Amino acid sequence: MNYLPWVTAAWLFAVGIYGVMTSRHYVHLIGCLTVMQSATYIALLSVGYRFGSVAPIFYARSDSTPAVDPVLQAMVLTDIVVGATVTALLLALTLQVHKKRGTVNPERLRPLRP
Amino acid sequence: MTRRMRLVLAALCALMIAPAVVAVIGRMPAFGHHPLPYGDAINRTTVAQRHVTNMVSAVNFDYRAFDTLGEELMLVAAVTGTLVLLRGRRGESLSDRAAQAGERPVCERSEAVTLACRLFFPIIVTFGIYVIMHAQLTPGGGFQGGAIIASGTLLLYLGESYRLWRRLVHSLLFDMMEATGAIVLVLCGLGPMLRGAAFLENVLPLGQTGALICGGIILVENAGVALAVTAGFILLLVEFLEETRATRDGGGS
Repeated sequence: MNYLPWVTAAWLFAVGIYGVMTSRHYVHLIGCLTVMQSATYIALLSVGYRFGSVAPIFYARSDSTPAVDPVLQAMVLTDIVVGATVTALLLALTLQVHKKRGTVNPERLRPLRP
Repeated sequence: MTRRMRLVLAALCALMIAPAVVAVIGRMPAFGHHPLPYGDAINRTTVAQRHVTNMVSAVNFDYRAFDTLGEELMLVAAVTGTLVLLRGRRGESLSDRAAQAGERPVCERSEAVTLACRLFFPIIVTFGIYVIMHAQLTPGGGFQGGAIIASGTLLLYLGESYRLWRRLVHSLLFDMMEATGAIVLVLCGLGPMLRGAAFLENVLPLGQTGALICGGIILVENAGVALAVTAGFILLLVEFLEETRATRDGGGS
């Protein structure tokens, strides 16, 4: 239990990177990139977690109640939103590649010609 | 490099990194019992210092507002990049026809779908606005609320018609909204400097803890983020749905 979150994060990162390396389709590759990114969510949230504490919201609750770390939650929050838009940008690039080259298989793409 | 070579290389790298990973995991502090000095300090002092009860918002829009400004500009940059890539070839022309997958026939929209969408669209948008407005009190904020509202607008497309959706979700409006959001955030940084305070310093009156209007600059920044995220996500939806139409119309050129 003690090592579970860290092992999970490392595992997610590893399977993500394996997927990126062996990918035959850019959409699949972007999905793998998202898996790698979710490793950071798990790692950050696990660092900020504390047993027997509440969410860091002190509405109708005393602010001396033990709460989890709000800094890491804020990081994960912005991370998710920016991650979503960056994924959209990558998908748009994939569409462009498909239009220009007719393939979205990274193995088949040669370096850019001038 | 062949696929096989790449995997062998990756396995070698993994073997080299593995001991470091194991060592780091072995020496992590016990899960659930970390020392959290920074978070604890914020939890202890923020309610008194900033009169807000949602610590995550306080961190995002005040203590680490500089980070949020950076992330916000990243978001705007990513959305702009997507728009330039997708809209660049297609132009801004409107179409009354929705996308169509191949030769599949277009089905009539069932009344149940229209009813469900008409019921849920106002509820979802109201909920999104609620989440945005209560950023300083309860869980929520501009990021989450913006994503909720943007996804809600898709119900117009699903329940009414492509034409209506495309007319309402006019991209010029949202282009401007996206820029306004980013500008509000930058002005939040520069504004306090006119009064001799630091960049992004919270100089506005803080209000009363627990009231809807409290937290000073947190409110303004939250509104800026809400504008940028709502507009950004809607623009992404518009562009990707337009892209399916362009494919059908013949390569988008």
